[in-house]
Amino acid sequence: MSVRGLWKRFGEQVAVSGIDLDLPAGRFVGLVGPNGAGKTTTLSMITGLLRPDSGVVEVAGTDVWRDPVAVKARIGVLPEGLRLFERLSGRELLTYLGRLRGLPADEVDRRTNQLLDVLDLSGAQHKLVVDYSTGMRKKTGLAAALLHNPEVLFLDEPFEGVDPVSAQIIRGVLERYTASGATVVFSSHVMELVESLCDWVAVMAAGRIRAHGPLDEVRGDAESLQSAFLGLVGAHGNPAGDRLDWLGGGGT
Amino acid sequence: MSGGMGTAELSASSVAGTFLRLKLSLLRNGVRQSKGRSAAFVGSLVVAGLFGVLGLLIMVALRGHEDGPAAGVALVAATALGWAFMPLFVGAADETLDPGRLVMLPLRPRPLLTAQLVASLVGAGPLFTLLLVAGAVVPGARGGAATVVAVCAVALVLLTCTTLSRTLATANAGLLSSRKGRDLAVLSGLVVAFGIQGVNLGFSVLADEDGDGLGPVAAVAEVARWVPPASAVDAVRAAGEGSWGFVAYGLGGTLLACGLLLLWWSRTLTRLMTAPDASTLQAAPESAGARGAAERGLAAWLPEGRTGTVMRRALTYAWRDPKTKMGWAMSLGMGLLLPLVFAVQGNGSVYNACWVAALLGLQMYNQFGQDYSGFWLVAQTIGTDRDAYLELRGRALAIGLIGLPFTCVVVVGSAAAFGAWGSLPDGLGLALALLGALVAAGAVTSARFPYSIPQDNAMKNVAPGQGALAWFSIIGGMLAGGVLCAPVIALTVWAHAQDAAWTWALLPAGAGYGLLLAWAGLRIAAPMTAARLPEILAAVSRS
Repeated sequence: MSVRGLWKRFGEQVAVSGIDLDLPAGRFVGLVGPNGAGKTTTLSMITGLLRPDSGVVEVAGTDVWRDPVAVKARIGVLPEGLRLFERLSGRELLTYLGRLRGLPADEVDRRTNQLLDVLDLSGAQHKLVVDYSTGMRKKTGLAAALLHNPEVLFLDEPFEGVDPVSAQIIRGVLERYTASGATVVFSSHVMELVESLCDWVAVMAAGRIRAHGPLDEVRGDAESLQSAFLGLVGAHGNPAGDRLDWLGGGGT
Repeated sequence: MSGGMGTAELSASSVAGTFLRLKLSLLRNGVRQSKGRSAAFVGSLVVAGLFGVLGLLIMVALRGHEDGPAAGVALVAATALGWAFMPLFVGAADETLDPGRLVMLPLRPRPLLTAQLVASLVGAGPLFTLLLVAGAVVPGARGGAATVVAVCAVALVLLTCTTLSRTLATANAGLLSSRKGRDLAVLSGLVVAFGIQGVNLGFSVLADEDGDGLGPVAAVAEVARWVPPASAVDAVRAAGEGSWGFVAYGLGGTLLACGLLLLWWSRTLTRLMTAPDASTLQAAPESAGARGAAERGLAAWLPEGRTGTVMRRALTYAWRDPKTKMGWAMSLGMGLLLPLVFAVQGNGSVYNACWVAALLGLQMYNQFGQDYSGFWLVAQTIGTDRDAYLELRGRALAIGLIGLPFTCVVVVGSAAAFGAWGSLPDGLGLALALLGALVAAGAVTSARFPYSIPQDNAMKNVAPGQGALAWFSIIGGMLAGGVLCAPVIALTVWAHAQDAAWTWALLPAGAGYGLLLAWAGLRIAAPMTAARLPEILAAVSRS
């Protein structure tokens, strides 16, 4: 996957300012950065959900904005915000999407059953999505993104607000998926998670890529990805300093 | 809790003062947020003031009328009823009353209650009520004693009304904050809409009768004057006549009712702020019940492939999503009711039944906005113009599946009711042409002018800033629909002017023309949709 000269402005504010990036295939790629760095905007433009002001995005050799049909069949997306069809049950949602993707009915049924089972959603498959918890919604979104067996999976904050049990399940499914040679690109600001899952990372801040490459290279001499990241985005020390001296200690 | 400053007991008056300032700040900031909002707020104040003054003047004019005091009693009874039910419809507007926001503060129920009561006395609603209630006591207030009683009655009624409204809102807070309750609140819009038509019908019937129309009001007052807070208004009349027993009953009863309501409010508030929120409780796994079976039955009847899938989703949403359901109920109910209203008003005609086609055709408008931000899931599966065409056609077919038979039934029904079988073919032809034209215009505007429908607010169907777009697309689309239909309308008028024998031919002509329009509209909208997916997504996910 490659990105060349990607720009996006919202009014006065520049969200993404000229990104050039090549992501390796068959890897677990982490896109990290503080809130407002432009991760979501970048992922939306890469997946065809947001039109860039300029720039070229190619996924598996196909231009996302010139040949959307070819690309949409080959990628799976879990966007931020868990926006789903709230008034369908989990099973109905997956069935509906599978049919829209043009899969035959019995194949949709088979895949839906397995995904619901593996993701531990079978017990709630007939509940409406509007009544799901955050973890259940993330897992449903992941199932929807995997249903058509894409070559590349884009996940925006897949672990945010997810309980440890669901996180472990999601992780297991993703590891199983990349082991078969597929590519996963996911954004996160939980460094420990990125460090333990990814073999390739890109660090974003203020709409630009600050560093990218294999995990060890980006981490460099720093003791952890967390401290390397803080150094890269320019955040240091204790911001409070001597202030807040009244806080704590049981006084009034 | 040792050491912190938060444990100091706050006095009722200081809490009330804080709440009052909070309420005023909230009002002020609400106004500051946008021009539309400040206009709406000033507008609501002006309207409340104008109608309040109007009510006051009418009641002053009724002074001396024999039914004047009775009218006052009925007015206060109606006002109290309004206070009881309005918060359920307009609910959650007042953040100072939301117990959920206050639960972390170290407040005792009594100061909190006083503070909330004081805060809820500020606003357009209480101003309106004050004016109305002041008017209601005018016809009965004769003499010094009655005037004193009147002043007490006004204060008491205002207090009781706000307490009643707050108590019921608090008692229903659990319902209002649950999903089922919010769904119900959306549907309550229907009650208002149909209520307006009901009032419309009522006026039509009343206008047919002779007399000054106060007879029914007196009958209502005869019952209402025994029930607080309307009994307080009757006490004013009783004071003028020297019947002190009635005065004691009227004022005392209202005071007692107010006290009981306060007690109830305090209890529910305490329970609400100490009991756990049910929404975090784990729900038991649900089994595939009748719902699944019914939908499998429906699926068997729908075509294969994308068309059937889209239709099935559209029909499921028509039933399950409260806003879509309300849209459908409005179209179907109003389509049925409007010909009836016209008939009662003496304008009964088969052509008026065409309204049903127009209302059903409106369902095609802003199709993608009805998906809310779930539209990205659809966008991910649309690659070609053909996909977009199938998507739009599936939605149009779902509308047709319900709309077509319903239109036929209403038009045939009106023809039967008016015995106007002669104008059935051209009436039905016109209705079908209109349905087709609006589906076509709806498909094109869905692609060209999408806007988002906020899901969290029951009363809002357009996100802030997109109102003009929504109105433009609906009004423009309706005009376009009318223009598209013009050939059929002209043909119908001409056929009647000629007194032609071939009016039956207008049925197949209208139906065929409608079908052609719908097809053409979908054909035009499909490439537009496919090319504008990111723009549509951005427009419908704005909130």
